[in-house]
Amino acid sequence: MMSLSDTATPRTATSPDWDLFRRRGKSILVHCIVLGLVAIMLLPLVYMVMMSFKTSTEIAQDPLGLPDSLYWGNYMAALSSMGYVRSVLNSMGITISVIVVVVFSGAMAAYPLARLQNRISRVIVMVMALGLATPNFVTITPIYVIFRDLGLLDSYLGIVLAFAALKLPLAVFFYTSFIAAIPIELEEAARLDNCNNWQIFWHVIRPLLAPVTATLSLFVMIMVWNDFIYPLLLLTDKDKLTVMIAVYKFVGNTGIDPTKLFPAAVLGSLPLLLMFAVFQRKIMAGATAGAVK
Amino acid sequence: MRARLSLYWFTVPALLVIGLFFIHPILLTWNMSLTNFAGIGEAKDVGWRNYERIFTRDRYLQEIWLTLWYTVIVVSALTVTGLFFAAMLHRLPLIRNFSRAALYTPAMMSFVVVGYIWQFLYSPLNGGINVALRDLGLGAWEQNWLGDPALALYSVAFTQIWMFTGFTCAIFLAGFAGIPEEIGEAGRLEGATSWQRFRYLELPLLGPSITVSVMLTTIGTLKTFELPFILTKGGPDGATRLLSIDIIDNLFGQYKFGFASALSIVMLVIVLVVAFLQNKVLRDRENA
Repeated sequence: MMSLSDTATPRTATSPDWDLFRRRGKSILVHCIVLGLVAIMLLPLVYMVMMSFKTSTEIAQDPLGLPDSLYWGNYMAALSSMGYVRSVLNSMGITISVIVVVVFSGAMAAYPLARLQNRISRVIVMVMALGLATPNFVTITPIYVIFRDLGLLDSYLGIVLAFAALKLPLAVFFYTSFIAAIPIELEEAARLDNCNNWQIFWHVIRPLLAPVTATLSLFVMIMVWNDFIYPLLLLTDKDKLTVMIAVYKFVGNTGIDPTKLFPAAVLGSLPLLLMFAVFQRKIMAGATAGAVK
Repeated sequence: MRARLSLYWFTVPALLVIGLFFIHPILLTWNMSLTNFAGIGEAKDVGWRNYERIFTRDRYLQEIWLTLWYTVIVVSALTVTGLFFAAMLHRLPLIRNFSRAALYTPAMMSFVVVGYIWQFLYSPLNGGINVALRDLGLGAWEQNWLGDPALALYSVAFTQIWMFTGFTCAIFLAGFAGIPEEIGEAGRLEGATSWQRFRYLELPLLGPSITVSVMLTTIGTLKTFELPFILTKGGPDGATRLLSIDIIDNLFGQYKFGFASALSIVMLVIVLVVAFLQNKVLRDRENA
C-alpha cells in the first residue's frame, strides 16, 4: 500500500525549500497516478467509441489501433436499420409516463407515511422494502401471464404500469424521508385555515417537492431507459421497442459483428450520457442520498 | 384520530399499482410454483414436487451456491475498489469531482451495452484484452476469458465490478465528507501517515457508509442476470449458470413456468434472508 501523504512528510528533511519541493513533487505524482487509474477505468468506453469508427478490415487488421479516419458508415448502417429514432421516442414517452405515475402516486403515498408512525405505516413501508429487494425476473413470469389475460401485452399502458410498480417503492422512500423533514408547523397553520388533507398536500407539501422530484425523475429515467427484461418480454411490436431492445435486436446475440455492435452501443448510451453530463451533480447527490440519511 | 387515519386514502393509488403489479404477481408466482404450468393449457397441481426437485438435485444447489459466491466476489471487490478510490479522491480535492463522475459513468450505461462491449473485449481472437496483452509483450497471459470454465465467472464478475466501482466510490466519498475535518487534522499533527489515518481514524467512522454500500451492492448483485445473460448465457459448461439465468432459461427457453416460479420463490427467499441477516449483522457491528 503506498502511503499517500500530501502534507505529512518526514521531519528529517534538511531545508524547508527542499521539503516543499519534495512535497509538491509527491503531490503531483499522486495526482497523476490516480488520474491514470481513472483513465484506465474509462478505457472500455474509449474502446467502444474508437471501434465504432472503424471499418471491418481495420478491425481485423489492427484490433486496438486508432481508426485511420472517422468512418461514419457504421453509424449510417445502424441508424437506417435499427429504428433508432422511433425507439428513442418510445423510450422517452414510456419514461415520461412512468415518471408521471410514479411521482404522483409516490408523493401522495409518502405523505401519510411521513406523518403517521403506526402499524399501518410500518406494514406499507415493509411492502415497499420488499418491492425494492425483489429481483424483477421473479415477477416477470406472472406479469407476463397477467398481461396476456388482460390484453396488456404489447401495449404502452401495460409496460408503463409494470415499470411504475417496479419504481414506486423507490419513489415512496425518496418522498417519505423528504416530507418527514418538512416542519409540521406549515401544515398546522393551513389546518387552522380549515384546509382539508388534500388542500394541505396540494398547496403546502407539493410545491416543496420539486428538488426531490427532479432527482427521482432522473433515476426513473436511467432505470427505464436501461431496463432490458421488461420491454423484451412485454413488447413485441416493432414500432414499440425501447432503445435497449432496439440495440439488442440489432446486434443479436450470436456471431456478433463489431461494425454493428459498437455504433449501436454508442447510440444506445448517448442520450443518457449526455443527460449525465448535464445533470451530473444532481445524479451524484441522489445516488448517495441513501448513504447520508 | 379519524381525520388523521383518513390520510391513508393518499396511499390508495400507489397501493393499487403495487398490489396489481407486484403483490398479485408474487402470489401468482407462489401458486404457479406448485403446478407444472407450461404457459398455456391446463396447469396441473404437483404439490411440492418442484421444490423437491430443486433441493435434491446437485444442479440447483450448485446454482444457489454459485449465485452466493458470485455475490460475495462482486460485493467484496466493490467495497475495496470503492474505498480505495474514495480514500484517494478524498485527499485530492482538485480532481475529486471530475474523477467521481468519470468513475460513475459506466453505472449510467445499460447492462446490454456493457455486456456487448465486454464480450468483445474478452473475445479470444482479436478481443481488446488479449490484443493489449500481446502488444505489451504479455502474450503468455492471453486467455479465453469467457470460454474457459475456470475463468468465466470471474470475467463476468470483473465486468460488474468495473461497472459499479463508481457507485460504491460515490457512497464512500459521501461518508468521507461526513467525517469532521478536525479528525484528519489531529492525525496529521500526530505525524500519522496517510495509510494510518485511513486505517485507524477514517475507516472506523465509515461504518454506516460500508453498511449502506454492502447492502445496496449485495441486493443489486443478487438481482442481476443481465451480464451473464449477455456474456455467457450460463456457459461454458454451467460455469456461470446463476440461479437467475436458469430461471430465465426455464421460462423463455423451455416454457416451464411452474418450475421457473418455484426457482423464483427460492431466489426471493434467498434475497430476503441475505438482506435481513446483513442488515442485522452490519447494524449490530456499527452499534457495538
